[in-house]
Amino acid sequence: MEITGAQPGYFDLEYYRRIQRIVGSWMELDEISSDDQPPAEVAEECRALLLHEARLIDRHQLDDWLDLFTDDAAYWLPADASQLDPASTVSWEFNDRRRMEERVERILTGKAYSQIPPTRTTHCYTNIELLAVSENEVHALCNFILNTHRPKGGRLLSGWNGFILRCEEGRWLIELKRVNLLDADAPQGNLSFFL
Amino acid sequence: MLKEAAKNSVTYAEHVYDDYFGEGRVHRALYTDAEIFKHEMLRLFGSTWIYVAHESEIPDAGDFVTRRMGLRSVIVTRDLDGDLHVLFNRCSHRGATLCREESGNAKVFTCPYHAWSFGHDGGCRGRPLPKGFGASTDDFPYDLSKADHVESYRGFIFAAIDTKLSLKEHLGGAAEKLDEWLDRNPGSDLVVQNGSMPFEMRTNWKCVYDNAADGYHVPFSHESLLRMLSARYGNVDIAYYEGDFDALPLLVKDLGNGHTMLDQRPLMHADSAWERQHVLPGRESIWSKLNEDLGEEEALKLLNGSTGSGMNLNIFPNLMIIGNQIQVLEPVSVNETIVRWYSTSLTNVPPEINAVRMRMQEDFPSFGEVDDTANFEACQIGLEEIPEAEWVHIGRHMDSRLGETDTDGFWKEPVSTDLHARAYWQAWRTIMESNEGGKA
Repeated sequence: MEITGAQPGYFDLEYYRRIQRIVGSWMELDEISSDDQPPAEVAEECRALLLHEARLIDRHQLDDWLDLFTDDAAYWLPADASQLDPASTVSWEFNDRRRMEERVERILTGKAYSQIPPTRTTHCYTNIELLAVSENEVHALCNFILNTHRPKGGRLLSGWNGFILRCEEGRWLIELKRVNLLDADAPQGNLSFFL
Repeated sequence: MLKEAAKNSVTYAEHVYDDYFGEGRVHRALYTDAEIFKHEMLRLFGSTWIYVAHESEIPDAGDFVTRRMGLRSVIVTRDLDGDLHVLFNRCSHRGATLCREESGNAKVFTCPYHAWSFGHDGGCRGRPLPKGFGASTDDFPYDLSKADHVESYRGFIFAAIDTKLSLKEHLGGAAEKLDEWLDRNPGSDLVVQNGSMPFEMRTNWKCVYDNAADGYHVPFSHESLLRMLSARYGNVDIAYYEGDFDALPLLVKDLGNGHTMLDQRPLMHADSAWERQHVLPGRESIWSKLNEDLGEEEALKLLNGSTGSGMNLNIFPNLMIIGNQIQVLEPVSVNETIVRWYSTSLTNVPPEINAVRMRMQEDFPSFGEVDDTANFEACQIGLEEIPEAEWVHIGRHMDSRLGETDTDGFWKEPVSTDLHARAYWQAWRTIMESNEGGKA
């Protein structure tokens, strides 16, 4: 099978350093002045992108969900709550675009027993804050409440997300979704869906 | 009088489990009966060697981590002389949890309740307002209780509350297999300071352990992984699990004392394990960087040494080594278990190698462990809900006469055997039915 548009080579040490710098800047963020905020029109598009992203997961439209990400995207679910270096720390998931596609394909085989039936989710994104980095790059932070249901009981997850959003040919896409679970370092149940 | 009574209350009851075992089968109650679970936590996890931590987690004097021996919270410490101790994490005064942190470095451990303090060896170092203590309680056990036996084998720290065996005797054949696992990278030491993934599951701990050298489930439980891989990449990774996979040079070994191994090295490492392996994030960029820096031959040698070991080495009752990870079983209740996957790295290798190891160690948990967990939980449901169906089958290859003694002297059987389950249940009975020792 063709690797659809993915650039398989971008997870190197320089990439980890860059992503760590960005996550670090989110942790130290103070007030976001009006100068640091994107223009109203861009802000509106970015907010709409986040809500669209949440809705597609909740509707199990995973192929469409993948279309919201760049070719050099990452989905990151750390297993620590201290922003440790991903070059020397294991995460629950640190997927490049190819790994995201593989996980979607695995679920769609109909033989992924951890997702039979699929985990039902309700994503609520709140406290959305936007930070304009350049004309084509916006960082978005939000809190989330994520209710999940499985036949033998569900769990209520929460935390905050950090997104790197990038404008490519006039369309805003997600370059990074980092999901910071409140209890990322605590024992977790079934996380085989996308949070 | 009181002392004797207190002692008797922790003497292990004599148990005989004859009714729970038959030819190639074990009874469901072993997985569902809360009384048996209580006995396991007291007896099994109280009178054999239990893996508690790796020395690289507490490299310096005063370092500690808190862990569990069955349900007992323990503090694993390194004292100022470098000696290791495994202390019960319970203040000798009123019983409060003494250390409430997962790891750190401490001069003394001070109880937050009345500030009694204890050294790295558990000795009581201070009790505020000392004039209040007199002769009547001079014989009170002021020092912390602890595991009397603490030994380390090549960095793996084990503790036992009550055993007659040395660690080396207990490990038996598992020690040389652990050597093989550790000696894949000459000149590098193993480091266990790279985070962990603690999976919580609603199942008895033995539903997990049953699977630890179960080559039978692979193409069925992991069909989604195998289908996705072969659709994308063809014959890679564990794609050899198809058809009559018992005919392949894969095997399960009985290493004695309940320890076992599933060995996939003859196929996984037949050529380059790295080249055969499922792609991972950063594979191409890091491979080409290492080729540039070290040359192709040296790069491939390092990458092969950090690719999944092809061994599932199980040290009864709570340690399972898989790929490059150290998996530790933490029973919580009769139907709740935490399986913690500790990630590992190496000293004296380029940082790219350890970065590859991190992404590789996210691979099987994400694509495989999740489906295994679904099946472990499904087993528990079936065992709990249907009392009329009493037995669990562990009889594969009992009669096929395909087993033989391997060149290393250990008994081996084809990969779909239940040899692992039969071997560990035998060790389970030996410990659980023994009348020896018997004081916690």
